[in-house]
Amino acid sequence: MSINKNIILFFLATICFFTCTKRDYEGPLLTNLYGEFEIIDSLKISTKTPDFSSNELVKFYCKLNKDIQWKITITGLTSNSVKEISGFSNTIDSNLIFWNGNTSQVPFFKQEDCLVELTFNNEPDTLRDSLSILGNKIYDGILVADFEDGLPINSILFHQFSMNMTFDTASDQALVGNTYFKMGGRMGWNEWLLGQLDIPLDLSNVNSSAENFYLNIGILSGINGEFASDQFINILISESSSPFNNDPSNNGADVFQDTMEVYKYQIRPVDWIGWNYLSFSYDQFEVKSMGGNNSRNPSDISAIRIQCQSCPYASANCPENINIDVRTDVDFVIFTENSRLLDQ
Amino acid sequence: MLLFIGTIPMGSFAQKNETVWFDGLARSYFARDVIGETLEQDTLSAKNASNGYNLVDLNTHINPIENIEIFAQLRIKNQFGSFFGSGTSIDVRQLTAKGTIKNKVRFSIGDIYLKQNRFTLFNYNEDLSSYENNMFKSYRDIIHYENFYTQNRWRLQGLQTDFSFEFDRFIRTLEVDFFITRPRGSTALSNTTYSSDLLLSGGTILSKLNKKLTLEGNYINLFELPSSGTTNISVNNPVYHSALTYLGNSKNANFKHTLQSGFSERNWLHSELPNGASDSTSNSTEGLFFEFENEYFKNDSTLKITLGYRYVDPNFRSAGAQSRRLNFLPENTNTIYPMYTNSSLTRPRSIFDLLTDETLYNQDISSNLMVFNPIYSNVLPYGDATPNRNGIYLKSQLSTKRKNLVSIINSGFFREVIGQGTAYRRNFILLKGAVKFNLHKIFSWEKQMSLSVSSENEITNRLGDSIESLSLNSHQINVFLSTEIARKLFLQFAFKQFYANGKEFLTQRDNYGNITNFVLTNFDQKDQLISAGISYMLRENVYANIQYNWWGMSFNDQAYPNYNYRRLLFILSVKL
Repeated sequence: MSINKNIILFFLATICFFTCTKRDYEGPLLTNLYGEFEIIDSLKISTKTPDFSSNELVKFYCKLNKDIQWKITITGLTSNSVKEISGFSNTIDSNLIFWNGNTSQVPFFKQEDCLVELTFNNEPDTLRDSLSILGNKIYDGILVADFEDGLPINSILFHQFSMNMTFDTASDQALVGNTYFKMGGRMGWNEWLLGQLDIPLDLSNVNSSAENFYLNIGILSGINGEFASDQFINILISESSSPFNNDPSNNGADVFQDTMEVYKYQIRPVDWIGWNYLSFSYDQFEVKSMGGNNSRNPSDISAIRIQCQSCPYASANCPENINIDVRTDVDFVIFTENSRLLDQ
Repeated sequence: MLLFIGTIPMGSFAQKNETVWFDGLARSYFARDVIGETLEQDTLSAKNASNGYNLVDLNTHINPIENIEIFAQLRIKNQFGSFFGSGTSIDVRQLTAKGTIKNKVRFSIGDIYLKQNRFTLFNYNEDLSSYENNMFKSYRDIIHYENFYTQNRWRLQGLQTDFSFEFDRFIRTLEVDFFITRPRGSTALSNTTYSSDLLLSGGTILSKLNKKLTLEGNYINLFELPSSGTTNISVNNPVYHSALTYLGNSKNANFKHTLQSGFSERNWLHSELPNGASDSTSNSTEGLFFEFENEYFKNDSTLKITLGYRYVDPNFRSAGAQSRRLNFLPENTNTIYPMYTNSSLTRPRSIFDLLTDETLYNQDISSNLMVFNPIYSNVLPYGDATPNRNGIYLKSQLSTKRKNLVSIINSGFFREVIGQGTAYRRNFILLKGAVKFNLHKIFSWEKQMSLSVSSENEITNRLGDSIESLSLNSHQINVFLSTEIARKLFLQFAFKQFYANGKEFLTQRDNYGNITNFVLTNFDQKDQLISAGISYMLRENVYANIQYNWWGMSFNDQAYPNYNYRRLLFILSVKL
């Protein structure tokens, strides 16, 4: 009988060892799914005159009666820049939800008045407020070219001499500051290359890996609401240690020759109207010429080439381009470490 | 032993000699369906449609040497209306080798039928089938036979072995059983992606400690082998179970007390072997169950009462015990008139479909909780292993000594352990009862005549505010009258009605079984099935049955139009 008692005790002990589920419920709350939406505390903004140049933050707070998908949209009334912050929660927590002056889509914010809107998925309620930017955000990065003072020092410019070639700085539609660089025109013969800008660089102080090293570039396309078909930009990066010299036989710097260590990224097609700001990490660049160790090392970068190409109308390649000029203008070319520029 | 290895029971007419013998099954089936009278026109569907087939399953048993048997089942099937040869198929339906090594260790390889206990490996009966009458036995036989459902076992492919010991001191016996099966092989998910092999393994150790006390332990694990596919995510679901049974007796009765408990783990392993990183697990859950059951039964079999308490944790997951027979996935459409009305609406499923459509049923072990329809089974949709249940149950079987009257009652009062989508918990009431009057015995008639009536009622309710509160009531009634008009020739009439009314939330889960959404659904429907026919029983498992069915569904305040159909059915079934 003692064996029986021991076995029963063992069973009872086993049951006691395992704890039961402690939660009150499983799955999403029904009140979140089917309950009526209510705003408990209205939208609050920590400052209405932020100076982002001194790293000031705009913090947001709102209290709701249930978890819901919400979105804060900040629109620059002068620049038309837009910043969107979204989430799913019943509280917009000011410790977690803030704005540092960056943008979700270019153009960048200026010193301007902004409209702030808080909207909720599938609900008609919209909360509105406003703020005024006193100082713009300063982005961290290694500037390659912003064209405010013309072309970068020692850069080499090449372009064809065909119709309406625009390879020069301009001030009518700059993305950042007052000036940008125009790259465009129309080829009159069967040639894809319109022109290119080679810029020498010294990044020997960079410690980032290729995966964490980003090239960011603004590209303006479209004339009168149209763009040339199959227009694109090649970006070449050289890690050659050779001197950055003009090579007239190669229409540019000699560090991009086929015997050099050169990597390439192609933005193709450039098929949008207006400015678009793109970012890509250095490890996305493909090997163009195998002159080195084929190991992308940001600190070895010695030059960058921004090259405009397009499908020519001549020889029936792209006859639809006969009356359209190519436009792949660029501005604010900058390297960033650890994150894309718009994610800063 | 709890495990059973075998094939479909063999008939007494099997041909047998020393090395090769045969048995099997032959069936002729013919059904003609007709659209009934409805308010909504349906000129897009055929006014009537017929189909049928002849099939023979020939079981060959070969004994090449003593204690070894090779079993193969060949199916020859011919669809009615097809040209000779083109509509005939020949398949190997089952293959098994089994035997005994040195008269001590039994083994089986190939198609095996496995069952452990109700919490580890158990193929629970399908919804609304508890008190089926003989009128629909021919339908139910086909569903069970075609889906390899036999005695709550899962049909699996693999290896099983068992052996036992007897002792003269300390304990009386020790029985051991192990198996390993592969419910699913590696399959192509895309041109370059392959799923992993899914394996199910387990074992049982059972010991009779003395005349009255039995101790038992079970282990089962459903797991994927990551190296057998290209996906790096694999499920792992071990379940541990132990039980202690005490058998007692008095002068006229026996009683049995069973205490059982166990727990489960489930997680998904993310293998990072190709990346050289360490593996990780996600969606890990652990849950326990506990049951204390007391059984009292009289020696003359006139009374049996079972009273028990059961707790199953919300996170208890046991793939072998929680896989359902009925598969309610949306892509699993009805076979008979899947669309109806001139608007080509998808026809809502009725109890007639559950009774007759063998393609709605599942033969696979599922690592996640399968979808269920709360109107058919809301109290225990995954049988006794249904997670998130806590309650008591009472079952009884009562009959007179001459079996003039046989009655069964099954009741349960359960509550959720935690709420779903709210802190309020559902309460469940289960009330099922059946009574059969053997009129020929009561009135001492020579020819058989019986009347069976059953009622199955499930009530669900939950308190809370207007969003959280719910109430669902479903009720099925069966009436069956059978009378022998000539020797072994029975005239039969049956009436079945199912009614569901109320509000319930249908649960949606992600690939890891986590609840992602609740879909509010209102029910107010009535299914009916009326049947009349003649059955000629040559002997048990050899019968010819012809019947006419009137069936349909009607809806109140719901978007679906009512429908009515009729069917003429003929079945000749012979077990060789």
